[in-house]
Amino acid sequence: MTEFLNWLQFVLSPQMINGLSIGVAVILMALGLTIIFGLLDVINMAHGEFYALGAYVAVALLGLGLPFWWALALVPLAMLLVGYATERLLIQRVFDSKDRHTLTLLLTLGFGIVLEDVLKIFFGANPLRVETPVAGATEVVGLFFPNYRLFLMLFGGALIAAVWLIVFRTRLGAIVRAAAFDRHMAGSLGVPVARVYALTFAFGVALAGLSGVLLAPIYSVFPTMGRDFVLMAFSVVIVGGMGSIKGAVIAGLLLTQIQSISSLYISPVWSDPLLFGIMVLVLMWRPQGLFGRLGHA
Amino acid sequence: MREAVLAVSPAAARIVRPRVMQWLTWLFFGGALLFAAIAALAGDVFFYRLATEALIFGGLSLAVDVLLGRTGLLPLGHALFFGLGAYVSGLVLKHWAPSLPLALAVVFVAALVTGVVAGIIAIRAKGVYFALISFGLAQVVSKVVFNTRELGASDGIIGIPVLTLGAGPLALDLGHAPTLFMVTLAFVGALYAVTAWLMDTPLGRLLSAVKANEHRVPFLGFDPWRVKLGGFTYSAIAAALSGALYPVLRGFVSPELLFFQVSVNAIINVIVGGTGTLIGALYGSVLLTGLKSVVGSFTAHHLIVIGLVFMASVVFFPRGLIGYAAPVLQRWLDYRAAQRSAR
Repeated sequence: MTEFLNWLQFVLSPQMINGLSIGVAVILMALGLTIIFGLLDVINMAHGEFYALGAYVAVALLGLGLPFWWALALVPLAMLLVGYATERLLIQRVFDSKDRHTLTLLLTLGFGIVLEDVLKIFFGANPLRVETPVAGATEVVGLFFPNYRLFLMLFGGALIAAVWLIVFRTRLGAIVRAAAFDRHMAGSLGVPVARVYALTFAFGVALAGLSGVLLAPIYSVFPTMGRDFVLMAFSVVIVGGMGSIKGAVIAGLLLTQIQSISSLYISPVWSDPLLFGIMVLVLMWRPQGLFGRLGHA
Repeated sequence: MREAVLAVSPAAARIVRPRVMQWLTWLFFGGALLFAAIAALAGDVFFYRLATEALIFGGLSLAVDVLLGRTGLLPLGHALFFGLGAYVSGLVLKHWAPSLPLALAVVFVAALVTGVVAGIIAIRAKGVYFALISFGLAQVVSKVVFNTRELGASDGIIGIPVLTLGAGPLALDLGHAPTLFMVTLAFVGALYAVTAWLMDTPLGRLLSAVKANEHRVPFLGFDPWRVKLGGFTYSAIAAALSGALYPVLRGFVSPELLFFQVSVNAIINVIVGGTGTLIGALYGSVLLTGLKSVVGSFTAHHLIVIGLVFMASVVFFPRGLIGYAAPVLQRWLDYRAAQRSAR
């Protein structure tokens, strides 16, 4: 019995808490993806590059001598502008064509390619390190955890709760949900649909950038950092249901926990196939994912 | 005009009669022969190898076009099959026997099996979900191969022997760049001919029907699932057979062949060349390989140029090179024919 308790305390719980800190960042990414898809029907293939861009903007701000907290506040604002411009200048160009699913996917894919190379030009291909803004460690359940990871969990959790509140409990959120449910009806009721679309896209991009900043002190920063991470976010969104906020949160927690717990038993190389297997099984059982779409449920 | 935009629309398809496509096909393969003659006179090796690579990736693009242009499915992970072909071919050539026909036969069987299995998984998903599933499948396989020591991990398979095709006085030395180019050209020509023929069979027509409106296909008495699986498997085989030639050209196989970039390049080739036109995929591959080589000689950041060309193509020229060139060319051919009959 003590053996089991020891295992629980010293083997399982640190894995779960580490998984939770990554999970929070994955959920922020997935929320961005799922909100953009839920409202605009756009699969944002450049999401991973926006995540990297967020981290690099933070690196640049830190290079100017600003403290990390300023970067944490400024990056989402900068990414809002980037996202707004991207929606207005790129997405809107093909948005009214009949093939907009495919065309917007291809367009964001191309934009991601360009963005990645631009990052390489400005910052080089080598990984950069970001100093942890919160040093030290705290004892939780008899184990020491880096303070930054604990901060990440609390801050990220608060952000996720804030997104939830905005979408489901405010007038702004009601407008977004209405536009997702029926864009023409919302438009005829006086909702400035085009601006809502652009701002929602910008909001999703800002979330991606924010998770880039949050993870920068944990992982190093390099131009292709978004690739593996966005695959994880895509799996989360597919399992949870494209366009579902509840789905992104629940599937995000579930998949990151499965990933971190399974890495106790199998090589991390196999954790991606495992997650993907789960994704395929979910799709076989419920092709639309676990939960319904934004504005439809 | 229900589907359209990405492909040649039905209205345009009526204008683009088979004649102009035939003309463009002869132009492509004639041009390739002309290139071979000029390069032979110049005693060149570099451009032969570059052109051979363009043809090999053209085969992959052709496979992508069968799905994207003819079936309406966007495969974001066709590098999976290309890489499968390259790896299986590399293993057969290195460890079994240095024989290209044997490698192609083994690759065919492997691709058939993998294509059916992956197809059953992927075509359950519709629309963008299909794209994401195929993306995920390829990503996972590439990661597993990248970490499998038996397959050479990040180094891939090196030391694949130089091949000879046939025996006796007619034997072709595939280490000789011009010979390999001609063999590859014949292979891609055959692949194109089979694909074009297949699109005219009932299966090909049903693929177009699925693209136009999947929900109406059952009313005609056909099962769209089987049609899509058939199209997917054929496309997988075509991609894998093209990949099988890669180790013959380069003498090695690397896990990069399975990466997302390969899938994306094939899609870019198809979109820039002309979605749904088949021959456009080959033109696109040659165009983009050439562009990459030219831009790459000036700067290491050629991806920006490729990405911008691709984005411009999606926004401003969604029908692609052949999609726009074919109607113009057809008008010119019609005009010439009318002049001749008037005389």
